[in-house]
Amino acid sequence: MTTADQGTTRPGIRVGSVSEFTLFFRVIPGHADELRDALTALQNTPGYRPGDYEVAIASIHEARFALFDDDTRLLFATSFDGSWDAYMEDFAAGPLQLFDAIFRHTEGYAGLPDVAAVKEFILGAQVTAAAYARNYPGTVKELRKAERLRGAFDRVLDDPRAEEALSHPALKPLLDEAADA
Amino acid sequence: MSTEQQPALELDDIQAGALHERPSPYVGRYLLLRLHDPAQGRELVRRLHSLLVAGNRAQGAGAQAWATVAFTWAGLAALGVPRSSLDTFPREFREGMAARAHELGDVGASAPEHWEWPLGTDAVHVAVSVLARDEERLEAVAAGARARYEDLASVEVVWRQDCYQLPSGRTSFGFKDGIGNPDVEGSGLPARNSSERPIKAGEFILGYPDETGSLPPMPQPDVLGRNGTYLVFRKLHTDVAAYRRYLRDRARDRDEERMLAAKMVGRWPSGAPLALAPDADDPALGADPARNNSFGYRDDLRGFKCPAGAHARRANPRDALEDERSVDVRLHRMIRRGTSYGPLLPDDVLEDDGVDRGIVFVFAGAHLKRQFEFVKTQWINDGVFIGAPEESDPLVGGAHAPTDFTIPHVPIRRRLRDLPSFVVTRGGEYCFAPGLRALKWLGDLDS
Repeated sequence: MTTADQGTTRPGIRVGSVSEFTLFFRVIPGHADELRDALTALQNTPGYRPGDYEVAIASIHEARFALFDDDTRLLFATSFDGSWDAYMEDFAAGPLQLFDAIFRHTEGYAGLPDVAAVKEFILGAQVTAAAYARNYPGTVKELRKAERLRGAFDRVLDDPRAEEALSHPALKPLLDEAADA
Repeated sequence: MSTEQQPALELDDIQAGALHERPSPYVGRYLLLRLHDPAQGRELVRRLHSLLVAGNRAQGAGAQAWATVAFTWAGLAALGVPRSSLDTFPREFREGMAARAHELGDVGASAPEHWEWPLGTDAVHVAVSVLARDEERLEAVAAGARARYEDLASVEVVWRQDCYQLPSGRTSFGFKDGIGNPDVEGSGLPARNSSERPIKAGEFILGYPDETGSLPPMPQPDVLGRNGTYLVFRKLHTDVAAYRRYLRDRARDRDEERMLAAKMVGRWPSGAPLALAPDADDPALGADPARNNSFGYRDDLRGFKCPAGAHARRANPRDALEDERSVDVRLHRMIRRGTSYGPLLPDDVLEDDGVDRGIVFVFAGAHLKRQFEFVKTQWINDGVFIGAPEESDPLVGGAHAPTDFTIPHVPIRRRLRDLPSFVVTRGGEYCFAPGLRALKWLGDLDS
């Protein structure tokens, strides 16, 4: 793994409001099974179960852990709203500590509660993506609000009086969407 | 370091201006000095040291005047601080505010090439501020400071800015300012916000554990860094006439004008927070320091009382982001010691009179980057954190000026369009205000 010059910033790539965040770790020899168990436990916690859509860290779009190279390496890849450089201190001080049970099976992790050490550990594992693209704009907050609005619009359309109600000129942009909404 | 054992703050070594509230009203003066000779510079520092020692002794009810002394990175170099020590300061401080202009959103009319000389240049070495209850006492302490440099031929006064705080505490936009300061653990000052635990002293003073439980990075040697704090000052011109015209044009009547203005600020002119007084100003609340900073936003996450994009809520979202776990607001608090300059624009005047007026924004804290720069770039200039990436602060602008501003309101939200930036940066500096022992160390440097 390449490591960048000490002391320089290596931010993730940003597309619109969203930054990618990719970490590569080495699994401590002999810890692969325990690490798999820890990842399974994470997958079974509320918010991480498939279909929960409530990751504890509200600015995260999606996140994954992947073991590779015969379980000797661990990848963590995510995308979040905001600037990489600005939020690293916050991530080290809070959200990343949620992964203590996972990181303790990787090399170089000194454990909690030393936030400065956690930050160094994370910076040492971060690799800037060589290519990154997104297929939709918007923050998690905007997308959740859009989902709420879509639900509300659906309920309006399901009302038998919807056509009459939407025929008001002020509502034309909504009526234009109504045919296949 | 463990968070359990909190070393007591060495209040007699910390410059009084960092932690103490100021008298109100007051008058003040900022001076920037350039040092042309290291030996005379150190002589100046020794003399200023005695001034500050006397000032710290006089803290309390009997204090007549307050002085603060701080240095830019270039200033520390001009005093002969060795390179090995200079290199231990954080990157932001070494680069200085002008070099950070792009990140900070100081572009266009606010860009460093338009700043007042000598702000943003390496001619700024020492910053001295003096404050007093009235002109007479200010002149006395200013004379004391002047006596400490005027016979030093190589010490040049390169900039002077008079400032003041009105009895009402109001700035040029007409709103009481400087209310939302954090309570600092161990400061001995009365707590103002019952809904927030006091912030660890290490967030503001170097040498003590901060909110992460660690010691903030501290410049070396230890004697130089300990009990110091970083100061940011920014001279911000306010276009009060444009601000008033904007509101007048958008409001149906004067009541709505006042309401729109309060929604933009997050407080009423008296200082009463919208969170506690959503419908009308409450001057008694605004004037009560035990109540005007004691609130949160948890019962108003959608911003019906105080919009998420309001200036005061951006600068300190308090508990509004608690459930999101993406950000710890306690890592991004600022002590602010802002002040006003220039005459107020008379009430109801809507045309610019060409007079320079505004705010000297002053920040004190242990982390330039994750406190001042974070708040400015992530919360003031940008709207990603509130789910409105294209919106900037409606009062002071930012990256997206002209910007929109959304005011949640039942039944239909209101959206103000094309708010120009009502504030222009005239310049500023990142400074370091050492503790008194550090000041003595600087004065006694042998190069």
